[in-house]
Amino acid sequence: MSEQKLQSQTVQTTGHAWDGDLQEYNNPLPVWWVYTFYATVIFAIVYWTIYPSWPIGKDWIGGVSDITYVNSEGETKTHSWNTRALLLEDLNQAAAAQKPYFDKVASMSYEQIAKDPEMNGFILSSGKALFADNCAPCHQAGGQGVVGFFPNLTDDDWLYGGSFDTIHETLMGGRRGYMPTFGEVLSGQQIDQLANYVASLSGIGHDAAKAAAGGALFNSETAACFYCHSSDAKGRKDIGAPNLTDNIWLWANVPAADGDEGKIAAIRGVISNGLNKGVMPAWAGRLSPEQIKVLTVYVHELGGGQ
Amino acid sequence: MAVTTYSGAEQYNFDIVKKFSVMALVWAVVGMFVGVYIASELAWPFLNFDSPYFSFGRFRPVHTSAVIFGFGGSALFATSYYVVQRTCQTRLISDGMASFTFWGWQTVIVLAALSYVSGYSQGREYAEMEWPIDILIEVVWVTYLILFVGTIMRRKQPHIYVANWFYLSFILATALLHTFNNLSMPVDLFSMKSYSLFSGTQDAMTQWWYGHNAVGFFLTAAFLGMMYYFVPKQAGRPIYSYRLSIVHFWALSFMYMWVGGHHLHWTALPDWTSSLAAAFSILLLMPSWGGMINGIMTLSGAWDKLRTDPVMRFMIVALSFYGMSTFEGPMMSLKEVNALSHYTDWTVGHVHSGALGWVAMISFGSLYHMMPKLWDTKIYSQKLVEWHFWLATIGIVLYIVAMWISGITQGLMWRAFDEFGNLQYSFAESVAAMMPFYAMRAIGGMFFLSGASLMAFNMFMTIRQGKRESAALEAKLAAKMAHA
Repeated sequence: MSEQKLQSQTVQTTGHAWDGDLQEYNNPLPVWWVYTFYATVIFAIVYWTIYPSWPIGKDWIGGVSDITYVNSEGETKTHSWNTRALLLEDLNQAAAAQKPYFDKVASMSYEQIAKDPEMNGFILSSGKALFADNCAPCHQAGGQGVVGFFPNLTDDDWLYGGSFDTIHETLMGGRRGYMPTFGEVLSGQQIDQLANYVASLSGIGHDAAKAAAGGALFNSETAACFYCHSSDAKGRKDIGAPNLTDNIWLWANVPAADGDEGKIAAIRGVISNGLNKGVMPAWAGRLSPEQIKVLTVYVHELGGGQ
Repeated sequence: MAVTTYSGAEQYNFDIVKKFSVMALVWAVVGMFVGVYIASELAWPFLNFDSPYFSFGRFRPVHTSAVIFGFGGSALFATSYYVVQRTCQTRLISDGMASFTFWGWQTVIVLAALSYVSGYSQGREYAEMEWPIDILIEVVWVTYLILFVGTIMRRKQPHIYVANWFYLSFILATALLHTFNNLSMPVDLFSMKSYSLFSGTQDAMTQWWYGHNAVGFFLTAAFLGMMYYFVPKQAGRPIYSYRLSIVHFWALSFMYMWVGGHHLHWTALPDWTSSLAAAFSILLLMPSWGGMINGIMTLSGAWDKLRTDPVMRFMIVALSFYGMSTFEGPMMSLKEVNALSHYTDWTVGHVHSGALGWVAMISFGSLYHMMPKLWDTKIYSQKLVEWHFWLATIGIVLYIVAMWISGITQGLMWRAFDEFGNLQYSFAESVAAMMPFYAMRAIGGMFFLSGASLMAFNMFMTIRQGKRESAALEAKLAAKMAHA
């Protein structure tokens, strides 16, 4: 620095002055600056030699770096370095790593997969990735769902059944939850009685007289709740009618409601308005049969299936 | 400092410089506030209030336009009008045109912000303004060009000072970039919506040719112009090397135009285009550093000023951040580094090390130098300048460090495979991992914003003090005249 300082004191200015005192020394270009610039020029030339670079007419210089890859037709090709081939190679490698496991998934039964520790490791890894990409937007990353919108998959309550086969059926064909609107069919008093009855089934504080009346109504032809929810209110898995006795809530946001009155009001809301939003899409055709099988086992394990 | 202060409004048009300086500070505070708000939205999403008007997507261009074009643009108009007049020793050729650029430019910023919040956007980064606003920008910019060139042509000095070359290249390049990137067809004459003339990959390439040169000419060349006047002025020393300034000016202007493709690595853009751009980015390193060397070496021999002069400190920190981000940029433009950094917060951190560290700091330094002179007084409080300096510096460091960590974490999480060939993390998991860094970034932004607010207050008081002093002086003169 002291040398530089000395230099700038001996170097002359250009002799111009602007705005009073603005002047310029005419120091030579710093030597290290010049040489570093030359080094970047060499770097650029090397870079252009390795990678595709300058265009010539309708073609371009491909560069000396080659890449060998298997294209979508399964042919092995060699091409100058390019990102598309690189991506194909990456995907091929990942697919090759996964293939032996997917082959096993295809040939093994659900029970065999669930018992095999190595396959369990694969299901956890692959299932998590598939779940995150396809299921998590609704059921959330951990599968806990959202009360009022999407079922929790981590509890042991299965709307349509928790066996491997029913989970597989759910994934393949999707589901559509539906409950009719009772607001215009029943009186406010009747809906209130039903709500008290449903609350009583899950041990929520209620009015015993109303609950008793609600219970009668539940199993009567007037309200006819028992058609779907069955006369013991434990639901029917064949049509996805929820069990009302387990204090597990999907549509009525009972857990978040304040006090018993609030919880009963939430139940009343569902009875009055019914439901027409419980749609799960079908995954057959969107995911491969092996992927759906992986997800079946993954979801089964999430909720300790049946 | 042996500065001859030319008094009298007749010689120079300082009125326009004053107006733009004040608006630079107004937009700094507004734009940075919106920046802090959207940074907080990322950390604490309830701030969206479930309203489209408050959403990140609409506020983000409000932030970028307010800080780049509002604050940066107004600071450039102010300093370029100041510098061109003083170094050419002549008045701007037209007060009317100058005034038009002021009102036109401020209208552009206000209309742009209103249109984004109402949901209008071209979807082109840093060029989100829809076509009617683009046309207004075009008219203002051509006026600016005529005014600037006309003033240079009327100079009383035979030589054009280096700062003016940089300002002129910025005005010319911006006119070119703005025109071609915004070519679009309105849906109809009475619709705000338009569609770009380019499509697909060409659209992306045109956008990044614009985007990177906006960084190169708007945020670099122009502020180098600022640096070339205000650093030697504040240091009271000549520029280190005239030769270096010529060489790096031409090298910088030539190289920048090639590098836009490095924003599109690993996309549908042909590979040759992006590797060509990457190598040019490496070639750009030394030309960029030429400006830093010239600035820092100008200070050598006046290092003691750094202890006593907080304004000087803004300038030296600006030059240091300029050097750092022009080193980081070429590194990030290499394919392999870019494979990790692209689409992550690292990019956001890099932009802000340039925008806060270089652009904002050099503007603050220059405005602190210029504004007291415009109102013919001294800075109201040196202590507040000192506070501003530390708040800004700490804010930048918090911001950049947060974005480095979160960016590299994101990059690594996105590409992590497990032994079964499956992606190890879902995207949502990588978002959840960002939370602490988003909070840290928002806090860094708050530091920077509080510094800028202190400056706005300090300059408000400086202006008031200047006005009082000149009123007192006039009263004294009037009294003397009455006696005589």
